Amino acid sequence: MIYLVRKLGAIALDLIEGLGRMGMFFFRVIRGVGRPPGKYLSTLKQVQFIGTKSFFVIGFTAAFTGMVLGLQGYYTLSKFGSEGLLGSAVGLSLIRELGPVLTALMVTGRAGSAMCAEIGIMRIEEQIDALECMAVDPHSYLITPKLIAGLIALPLLTAFCDVLGIFGGYLIGVQLLGVSGGAFMDGLTSSVVWDDVYMGIVKSFCFAVLMIWICTYKGYYAGLDEGNFGPEEVSWATTQAVVYASISILVSDYIITSILL
Amino acid sequence: MSSHNMIEIRGLDSHYKGRQVLFNIGFAIPHKKVTVIMGRSGCGKTTLLRHLIGLKPSESGRVFVEGQDMGSFDEKGMANYRRRIGVLFQSGALFNSLTVSQNIAVPLKVHTRLSDETIRIMSLIKLHLVGLADFLDYMPSQLSGGMRKRAGLARALAMDPEILFVDEPSSGLDPITAAGLDDLILELRETLGMTIIVVTHELESAVKIADQMVVMDRGNLLAVGTPDEIRSSQDETVLRFLRREAEEQQVNTESYLSRLLGRQYKAGENSTRRQGGVR
Repeated sequence: MIYLVRKLGAIALDLIEGLGRMGMFFFRVIRGVGRPPGKYLSTLKQVQFIGTKSFFVIGFTAAFTGMVLGLQGYYTLSKFGSEGLLGSAVGLSLIRELGPVLTALMVTGRAGSAMCAEIGIMRIEEQIDALECMAVDPHSYLITPKLIAGLIALPLLTAFCDVLGIFGGYLIGVQLLGVSGGAFMDGLTSSVVWDDVYMGIVKSFCFAVLMIWICTYKGYYAGLDEGNFGPEEVSWATTQAVVYASISILVSDYIITSILL
Repeated sequence: MSSHNMIEIRGLDSHYKGRQVLFNIGFAIPHKKVTVIMGRSGCGKTTLLRHLIGLKPSESGRVFVEGQDMGSFDEKGMANYRRRIGVLFQSGALFNSLTVSQNIAVPLKVHTRLSDETIRIMSLIKLHLVGLADFLDYMPSQLSGGMRKRAGLARALAMDPEILFVDEPSSGLDPITAAGLDDLILELRETLGMTIIVVTHELESAVKIADQMVVMDRGNLLAVGTPDEIRSSQDETVLRFLRREAEEQQVNTESYLSRLLGRQYKAGENSTRRQGGVR
């Protein structure tokens, strides 16, 4: 019994310590925005890495998701004779929900894991220690540009995902299944309002912060708790980063939706 | 504390994952001299170095830098101290995504307002100092182990530090390249008047470059003195280290079997069990 209480206490203490450390990590990253060196170039590089290089995978995901939505939506709506509402169904689903979530999940898998591994390797190869010894704040130098780049790239990628998804839905609904193009576009333009777009934007900003925060934090502290600095710790940190970031995105999606609805 | 000492360590203990790795370490590092900390692998040299560069906070005991307690440094104080030091890590710790010159430029870009052109010239000067002037735009992956270490040294020298810490300069290098690095360290002391702290297990290298030698064994300080004083030491462990003799392992059967079994082993346990089996 005492063993169980002690074990639970240790877990609770670890959890509180971990949350505190995560909070301090985030605070240091935010504080790094105004610190030298200038971050224009490194941020641009990160925008290219997170944004431009994700175009292809986001495009594919968006197009096929839109096409599936077109198919499923048509099947469901035709049961009620409401095929004309397909544009509204596809547009609202993508802009409010699927666009931000799918984009964030895909970017986590592609760029978040890479960021975690990059920072983790820097940790095990003493490069982060080297930065500290040069009195260079690693949070400001390494993580802050990634956070700024994520905040720029993710909303843009989300918008791209929305557009391509709607195009996919249009392609299937109008070109393949014979829904009227006018009805599709009319449903889309009349039902999608600014609040829907706003919700999508807010979500993509929140997901960007969560994804960069969790993935870089996991890489930064790779092996530090275990006291072992090897490839295994980096791979474990990367796996944890992707799982935790994905779960956080899905949970926060529910919370944001419930607040903004 | 003597004014001739740059760093003084008093009663320093250190733990790693609950295991004590340094025991009551105390000695002083003099100004503008080369101090070599040496001992066998795993004796706590690198842990001690991490305390000296502020990467591991002291749990008990103190490290004084020119009379100031390092434990009392706040974030700004630590940053000020680190601006005065240069560290060459065992692996070189170069940033793989940056060229050699960009690596050297990192501290200059953060701490100075020099133009890009001036920073490039300064990087070239530092690379010239370590004999890598022709490798300005090479990536670290394109350099050999020895070159990476020299590039790491150039980066450590970028801010003209007062104190230079060098971790295992000759590990993984052939004897000629290692000797070249030793000569470079001596040259730096002569020309730039730096206080240099070298951590190594290479006896030959240590004797060659040291003004002061610190010999460690299993986290304990064995001896401090000039290379001649160390060589004339009467301490059996120091002599064994200098003669490069392997230590005879005193095997305690009981503790060895306890480690193997993962529980306390009692003498005679085995014979009792065997008897029980026969019965």
